[in-house]
Amino acid sequence: MIEFDSVSVTYRGGVHALRDVSLTIDDGEFVVIVGLSGAGKSTLLRALNGLVPATSGSIRVDGTEVVGSKGAELRNVRRKIGMIFQTFNLATRTTVMNNVLMGRLASVPTWRSTLGFWPAADREIAFEALERVGIVDKAYVRASNLSGGQQQRVGIARALAQQPSVMLADEPVAALDPVTSHQVMEDLQRINRELGITTLINLHFLDLARRYGRRLIGLRDGELVFDGDIADVDDETFREIYGRAITPDDLLAMDGSDVRPGG
Amino acid sequence: MTSVLDETAAPPGTAERPPPPSSRWWRIAVAVAIAVAFAWGYSGLGITVDQLRRAPGNIWTIMRLSWPPDFGTVIERGAIGKVFESVYIAWTGTVIAAVLSLPLAFLASNNVVPRWVRIPIRQLFIVVRAFPELILATIFLAVVGLGPWAGALALGIASAGTLGKWSSESIEEVPLGPVEAIDASGGRWLSGVRWGILPQVFPVIVAHWLFRFEINVRASAIFGLIGAGGIGGEISSQVQFRNWENVLAVLLMVIVMVLTIDGISGAVRRRILAGSTRSSSDANRELLGNLGGFLTRRRS
Amino acid sequence: MADAPSDAAEPSGAVRPRKPPLQLRTILIAAGLAAATVHAARQSGWEWGSFVSVWSNPLWERFWPIDWDFVLDRRNVLDPLVETFQIAIVATVIGCALALPVSFMMSQLTTPNRPTYIVVRSVMNVIRAIPDLLLAVILVAAVSIGAFGGAIALTVFSLAVLVKLFSETIDSADPRPLEAALATGGRHSAAVRAGVFPEVFPAYVAHSAYVFELNVRASVVIGLVGGGGIGRVIEAQRQFFRYDRILGILIVIFVIVAVIEQISDYIRRRVL
Repeated sequence: MIEFDSVSVTYRGGVHALRDVSLTIDDGEFVVIVGLSGAGKSTLLRALNGLVPATSGSIRVDGTEVVGSKGAELRNVRRKIGMIFQTFNLATRTTVMNNVLMGRLASVPTWRSTLGFWPAADREIAFEALERVGIVDKAYVRASNLSGGQQQRVGIARALAQQPSVMLADEPVAALDPVTSHQVMEDLQRINRELGITTLINLHFLDLARRYGRRLIGLRDGELVFDGDIADVDDETFREIYGRAITPDDLLAMDGSDVRPGG
Repeated sequence: MTSVLDETAAPPGTAERPPPPSSRWWRIAVAVAIAVAFAWGYSGLGITVDQLRRAPGNIWTIMRLSWPPDFGTVIERGAIGKVFESVYIAWTGTVIAAVLSLPLAFLASNNVVPRWVRIPIRQLFIVVRAFPELILATIFLAVVGLGPWAGALALGIASAGTLGKWSSESIEEVPLGPVEAIDASGGRWLSGVRWGILPQVFPVIVAHWLFRFEINVRASAIFGLIGAGGIGGEISSQVQFRNWENVLAVLLMVIVMVLTIDGISGAVRRRILAGSTRSSSDANRELLGNLGGFLTRRRS
Repeated sequence: MADAPSDAAEPSGAVRPRKPPLQLRTILIAAGLAAATVHAARQSGWEWGSFVSVWSNPLWERFWPIDWDFVLDRRNVLDPLVETFQIAIVATVIGCALALPVSFMMSQLTTPNRPTYIVVRSVMNVIRAIPDLLLAVILVAAVSIGAFGGAIALTVFSLAVLVKLFSETIDSADPRPLEAALATGGRHSAAVRAGVFPEVFPAYVAHSAYVFELNVRASVVIGLVGGGGIGRVIEAQRQFFRYDRILGILIVIFVIVAVIEQISDYIRRRVL
């Protein structure tokens, strides 16, 4: 269970990225977060795994407090939280396998990961993660030789290799073409369904949000302005979250015709 | 919209897993080769276990003996003057190298001269660069005699090789546009070089000169060790007599000299490469204003 | 007297600007540099005549003919050259090995904490400011004459050079894989190893090859101050004024250094 309790994040320089945000997410939920750029979506996710320190408030993951935790405590929390990034964040000069094995960093002794002597069990986990996203045949291919969609799959496999209980996705499809975007969103849906991993996804495109989301969270200027079921969402809701009318830039599909609520 | 995954996803463990690549063996082979080379190298040096054992102790002893550093004695012996002498040697040598290397660099660039000119000049650079400056200095010492002039000459010629190489590489990187424009308007080859290439590449070349100056300051400190002038001689004497406090004092002076020159030269280099955005008349007015203010500031 | 020009009169509507005056500061700097050069040259013993007299100095005759018998004799030249080469190898391997962790500590991207960063950076900057041979002179006196002292001095030299080059590479590396590695809960060092190391490794190899090149030249010279290898032979011959032998030795050295340089360039091109 994830609990945000009056969380505020202020960056150096005075930018209030999150203001007094409180919410609760149960295990196994599939949550989509929308909002303008700079509304705080990215900060919300990164505060959850401590990549960005929260200025005040409390964030609890399965009972463990994240705000203010350091060292081994923080690493233990992060181990349970897998994250995928808009720009994939892969080590491009090495193989897919080595990238996925990054997910096992927290579970093996440092000397093993440094020298590359990964235990067989961890290699097995990495292979299974790759199989689950369907690119195991690319295991020893250099990461930079893959397409954008394939690289993001590697990112997902890396997160899966952690055997996490939570999955965070920070605008995972923003850098992908429409077809691949749908594929990745379906992968994430499937993983949530089959493995029961709590999933939080930042999305920029509203039609994707409506199509794949079940629960929707809207952020505006760092504040939580909407938290509810996707079925209760209409264009008016989006206008409130965005503070302006929807433009074609906010939609993935060219004509918006395949937008329908569902999940 | 079905996912590609529906076609390729299989229950874990049944899809084709590729075998580990053979590049692992290459990496192991390289690592072994380096280890073997190291072992061979080490064995030829004749280092005894005894030496290894006593080395840290010896070094620590000297460090203890050298504290606190004794500046008084070395300053009396004229160390500060020697430090400046090293700087002068480096400066003179760099100037000589700059003057020599600038025309040669153009003659070694493929966008200025044809191949039959460029290749021999490049070979010349390579030959000159093969000689460590100290060896050149040794030779010049024989011919010119003891003293800083041998060092300056040696530095000048040795640096000219490196500066020639760097400068010609920078010249070759200059975009062709201005040169083409001059050619097209009927300008002579020399004009093309003077107006098309030189203005663009000059800041970079000056930056190279300054960088070489920083290296030469270190080199000139060493020259003193063989009698070619500068502070090196002082270190040599002090070490010979095992006056470790003096040694540390001179060493610290050298460090300060090098760091100072590095700092100034580095700042100037950055400034040159960044360029200025103010108009020159504005800059002049500001400079005169500052000077005037400084000179007429009321003492109160 | 500034009339606003009428658009009908002037084609572009602008008054012709006066040519910007030469920057006063530029003139002052140029004059200062010229003065400094003259002063420095005088202090170095500049004599116009020496440029000419150098070439007609009878001492040059001592360089010719080359004493090939001496030079090509194994014991005189080739064995010490081998020793020189070995010093370079040992110094490069140890220096480059040490440079790996130190460089990561010295880079803003990968340093574990601020105090480490400041301390390591400052120490390395100071060491880099010491000319390599000065260090050699001191170490040789401290530890022992011969290859051992020379090897230690060159190791420190290699460390300083490589650390500077490599930490700059790390500074400009992509920080995103590192962020991902830290997000998985790995320790800082493991995250750096997984996320940054693969990106910068080719540069490390290239820089190391360059350092090896530098070391081969430096180890030739280190013998001049007692560090063993061919330098000692050269110094000995110099004291007997046998420049005919020195020239022969230099030619042999030149050939070998040129070959090594080609190999090193080849490695760097393949890797980068």
